[in-house]
Amino acid sequence: MITGILFFDVMAVLVISTSIGMLVSRNAVYSALFLVLNFASVAVLYVTLGAPFIAMAQVTVYAGAIMILFLFVIMLLGAERLEGESTIRGQRLFGGLLAVILLGELTWMAVFQSGLSPAALTMPASDFAGPTQIGLTLFNTYLLPFEVTSFILLVAIIGAIILTKTDNIGKRIIRPGKD
Amino acid sequence: MNDPVDSFMNFDLISRYPGLVKKDQRTGYSGYIVEADCLVQFARAVRDELGFDYLSMITAADYYPDDLMDVIYLLYRTTGGPGILFKVQVSRLDSKVPSLSSIFAGAELQEREVWDMYGISFEDHPDLRRILLWDGFEGHPLRKDWKEPLFEEDSKPYKDRWPAGKHKRQEDLNPFKNNVSYPIGFEPEHFSSNNEKALYDALNKTSGNLNGSLKTDQIIVNLGPQHPSTHGVFRMAALLEGETIIDLKPVMGYLHRSHEKIGERNTFLQNMPYTDRLDYISSMSNNFGYALAVEKLMAVTPPERAEYIRVIMAELTRISSHIMTTGFLLNELGAMFTPSLYALEERELILDIFEEVSGSRMMCNYFRFGGVVRDISDSVIEKIRKLVFNRLPRKIDELDRYLTHNEIVRLRTEGVGVLTADEAAAYSAGGPLLRASGVPYDVRKAEPYSIYDRFKFDVAVRYHGDIYDRYLVRLDEMRQSIRIIQQAIHDIPSGPVMTGKSQYQPKVPAGEAYGRVEGPKGELGFYIVSDGKQNPRRYHVRAPSFINLTALSEMSKGEKVADVIAILGSIDIILGEVDR
Amino acid sequence: MDAALIWEWIIKSVVILLVMTGGFAYVTLYERRVLARMQVRIGPNRVGWQGLLQPVADGIKLIFKEELTPVGADRLIFILAPVITVIPALIVTAVVPWGTEVNLFGRIVPLRLADINVAVLYILSVTSISVYGITLAGWSSNNKYAMLGGLRATAQMISYELALGMAFVGPILWTGSMSLGDIVSAQKNLWFVVIMPLGFIIYVIASLAEVNRSPFDMPEAEQELTAGYHTEYSGMKFALFFMAEYIKMIGVSMIGATLFLGGYQGPFVDAYPWLGPIYLFIKVALWLFFMIWVRATLPRFRYDRLMAFGWKVLLPLSLLYIVVTAVLRLLVGG
Repeated sequence: MITGILFFDVMAVLVISTSIGMLVSRNAVYSALFLVLNFASVAVLYVTLGAPFIAMAQVTVYAGAIMILFLFVIMLLGAERLEGESTIRGQRLFGGLLAVILLGELTWMAVFQSGLSPAALTMPASDFAGPTQIGLTLFNTYLLPFEVTSFILLVAIIGAIILTKTDNIGKRIIRPGKD
Repeated sequence: MNDPVDSFMNFDLISRYPGLVKKDQRTGYSGYIVEADCLVQFARAVRDELGFDYLSMITAADYYPDDLMDVIYLLYRTTGGPGILFKVQVSRLDSKVPSLSSIFAGAELQEREVWDMYGISFEDHPDLRRILLWDGFEGHPLRKDWKEPLFEEDSKPYKDRWPAGKHKRQEDLNPFKNNVSYPIGFEPEHFSSNNEKALYDALNKTSGNLNGSLKTDQIIVNLGPQHPSTHGVFRMAALLEGETIIDLKPVMGYLHRSHEKIGERNTFLQNMPYTDRLDYISSMSNNFGYALAVEKLMAVTPPERAEYIRVIMAELTRISSHIMTTGFLLNELGAMFTPSLYALEERELILDIFEEVSGSRMMCNYFRFGGVVRDISDSVIEKIRKLVFNRLPRKIDELDRYLTHNEIVRLRTEGVGVLTADEAAAYSAGGPLLRASGVPYDVRKAEPYSIYDRFKFDVAVRYHGDIYDRYLVRLDEMRQSIRIIQQAIHDIPSGPVMTGKSQYQPKVPAGEAYGRVEGPKGELGFYIVSDGKQNPRRYHVRAPSFINLTALSEMSKGEKVADVIAILGSIDIILGEVDR
Repeated sequence: MDAALIWEWIIKSVVILLVMTGGFAYVTLYERRVLARMQVRIGPNRVGWQGLLQPVADGIKLIFKEELTPVGADRLIFILAPVITVIPALIVTAVVPWGTEVNLFGRIVPLRLADINVAVLYILSVTSISVYGITLAGWSSNNKYAMLGGLRATAQMISYELALGMAFVGPILWTGSMSLGDIVSAQKNLWFVVIMPLGFIIYVIASLAEVNRSPFDMPEAEQELTAGYHTEYSGMKFALFFMAEYIKMIGVSMIGATLFLGGYQGPFVDAYPWLGPIYLFIKVALWLFFMIWVRATLPRFRYDRLMAFGWKVLLPLSLLYIVVTAVLRLLVGG
C-alpha cells in the first residue's frame, strides 16, 4: 500500500509540474511537449486505477493524435516563439481570480461534500471502464449525443476541406486511355 | 556553311533591310551581319517568315586587337535542313545588343553566359546575371585581353614545359603577380553576393499565391549545390508553397573549369581529350562533334572504315548514356539503385569495348581529325556483334518489361514536367527532351552528318512531353541505335582509318565552322573560329545539358518537390557539360 | 508478488532489449546482403565470415564519429529526439507472446513478457508516440529539409496509423479479445490471413508506411530531402534513428506475424514449446525479407499521392474490411 501511495505521489507531482510547465513555457513547442508528458502521466494514473483501456485511449488519442497535430500546426506556422506580453489587459488578474474560485469549489467538494471519507476512495469494479462497458454505455445510454458529435465532426471535416481546397496550377495533359 | 535562304527560297533578307543586313564577306565565314538596331525584327522575320524556329546557339567571339566582337546566332528549322547564321558586330568598349529572349525563350541562359564571358550586355534581358562565374569575379574572361593568373602565353605548348634554358615552372613563381585582380572595393571578409540577392529577389517577385484567399507562407529551399540528386554540384533555388513549386531557378557554375578559355590556349588536337571531360559519360560523341567541326575547317573527310567506326562508337555511347539515364531516373523516383545497377551492368560491357579500342573506359580520346586514332580488331567487332544482336536488345526489353508498366512509375511520371512542342522548341530543348514533346528533330536526320544517311532508322518521338515519354523516347532510341549498329557492323569495310598521316599539329585554315552531332543529351555543337594559327581563336561548345536546363523552371512550376528531382533526372544533365 | 517473478520480468525485459538491439544490427546486415543480391552485387562480406562482423564494425565507426549540432538548433530537443524515437520502438514488442510455456530449471516460465488484455491498444498508443521523435528531430534541426521531412513524417504516420488501427480490428473482432496471447491461440487451426486477407494486405501497406519503409520512405526521401528529418544528425544520434527504424521493422513484422500469421503457432509447438520462438523468428525473417524485397523493387510514392492513397483508398477499404469481418463473424457464429 505504501508503495502504491508513494507511486501516486510521484505521478501527482509529475502531473502538476508538467501542467505548470506547459503554462509557463515561452516556447510553444515546449508547452506542447509538457502537455504530452502530462497526458502520459495521467494515463499512468488511469492504469493504477485499473482502467488500462482508458489509459491507452488517452495516450493514443490525446498524446498520439491530437497533440501531434498541435505540434504540426505550431511547426508549420513557425509560431514557437511567443512574443511580448499578453494582449488582453487585466487577463492575468482575471485568470488568477478564476483559478481561486475553482480551487475553492474543489475544496468545498472534497472537504464538505464527500467529507474525505475512505468510502469515497474505494476502487471501482474491475471491469469498470473496460472496452465492453464503454461500448455499451456509448451505444446505449449516450447514443444520441454520440451520433450528434460524429455529425458535427463530419461537418467540421467537410468545412476544413472546402476551406483549403485549391485548384492545381500545373499544366495537365490528358493521356489517351486515362481520365 | 551553305546558305539555306538563297538555296531554298526567293527571300532576300539583304534587300529587305537595306544597309542593316549584309553578307559576311570575310574569308571562311558565312551567314549575315545584322545591325544591332534591327536584330529583333530580323530574328522575328527569320523565325516567322522563314520558319527558323529553333534557336540553336548564341555565342560571341572576340577579335582583339580589333575593336570588334561578334555575337553569333545560329537558328535551325525543326523540320530539318541547314541553319541560318547571323552575327551582330559590337564594339569592345560599348557592347550592347538587344536580347532575343522575348522571341526565343531559349536565349535566356545562353545570353547570360555571353554576358558572363564577354561582358556584352543584352538589353531587356529579364535576369542578366553572371551564370558560370561568381559575382566577385573581375572582368570577362573570354575577352582576348583578359589574362588569367599565372598567364604565360597565348597558346600552348608553353615554353617552360619545353625548357630552353629555363627550368622554372610558372607555378613555382609568385602566383599573385600583377594579373590577379579583384573588383574595386572587394573585401573577402565582407563580401555579400549581389548575385544571390538578385536570385532571391527574382524568386520572391513571382510569389503567385496558390490559394487566393487563404494566406500561406512560402519558403525558399535551395536544392543543392550539395544534394544527392543533382548529379554533381548543381543548385536549384525553389520557391515552395507547402510541397508545391511556385518558381525555380537553376544555379550553375560550381563546376566551371574554363573549358573554353583553355580550349583557346590549346592547340587544335590538344582539345580532343578535353572534350572527353564535357559530358563525361559519352566522350565518344563529344569527340565526334569536335572532330566534325575541325574537319569542316580543314576540309578533310575520314575514310570509309573510320566513318563506320565513328558511327558505331557514337551509337554505343548513346546506348550507354541512355541506359544509365533510364536507370538513374528510377533512382530519382526512389527505386533505390536496383534499376540503375542493372543498367550499369550493360554500360560496363560497352565500356569494355571502349577500353579495348581506345585504351580508356570513360575518357576515350579516340577520334582524330580525318579519322580515328587506331583501327578496331575483328575480335572487337565480334564482341560488338554479340552485344547488339543478342545481349543489348534482350536487356532493353527487360528494362521495358520491368519499368514501363510499373504502376508507381507511371503514377510518378505521367503528366509530370510537361513541356509542349512549342515550348520545347522555343526553349531550344534538344535531344530526348525535344522529341518527347512531339518534335521529331534529330540532327542525324535533320542534317545528316558523317554517314548517317546510309542507315535505316527512325527518329523516336512521343507526344505528351512528360517524364514518362522522355523515358520511352530513350528506350526507343536505344533500339534505333542498336539497329544502326547492326547495319554498320554488317557493312563495315576494311581499309585505312585515317586520312593522310596522323600529325600533332594539323594545319587549320582561317575561318569559322560549326560541327554538330546528335549527342545522347541533344544537339552537341562546336563552334570553332580559326585564324590560321596553331590554336583556335574561338572554341565554343553548344552544350545540350546546359541549354536544356533553360526549360527546367517552366517544367517545374506547379509540380511537387519530388517531381522536380524526377524532372531533372529526365532532362539528363551532366554537370561537366553544363558548367564546362 | 514474489521476488522471483520480478526477477523473471527483469530478465525477460533484458532479453527482449538485447534481442531487439542485436536484431537491429543483424537486420542491417541482412538487408544489405539481400539488397545486394537483388541488385547484382555481393554486399559486405569482408568483416568476419560472410560479413557477419560488419554490424560491429559499423557500430564502432558510428560511436567514434563526430557529433555535430547545427547552429540555431534547439539543443535539448535535438538531443532528446533520437531517444524519443528509439524508446517506443524498443518497448512496442513487449506484449507480443513468443511461445507458450517452457519448463526452465524446474520453473514454469511463460514465453511472454506482458500478456495484457489491451495489448493491441498498447501497440497503437506506443506507435502513435513514436511520431514525436521524428517530428521533433525535424523541427529542432533548424534545417528546411529536416523540417519538410518531419512534417511529411507526421502527416504520413498519423494518416496510416488509422488504417493500421483498423487492420487490428479484424483479429480483435474474431477473437473477442485484445490480448495478443488470445489472438495467437485463436489461430491454432487457421491463420487469420486466410479469414481476412484484406486486413492482412491493409496491415502490410500501413505498416510499411508506419515504419517509413520504401515505397513510403517519404520522410527521409534521399532524392528530394537529402535525408529528411535526420539530415543534421551524425554519429550515435544518427545511429539511434537508424536503430529505431530497423527495430520498428522487426516490431511490425512480429506484430503482423502474431496478428495474421499465427504468431508462434506451428507444427508440434504444443509438444515442444521451444519451437514457438523459432517459428516466430522464421515468420519475422520472411516478413523482413519481403520488406527488403519491396525496397529493392519499387520506386517511391509521391507525397501527395501517398496521402491521397491513405485517406481515399486505404481508409475506406479498411472500413469495408471491418464490416465484412464483422458480418463473417456473425455468420460463422460467435
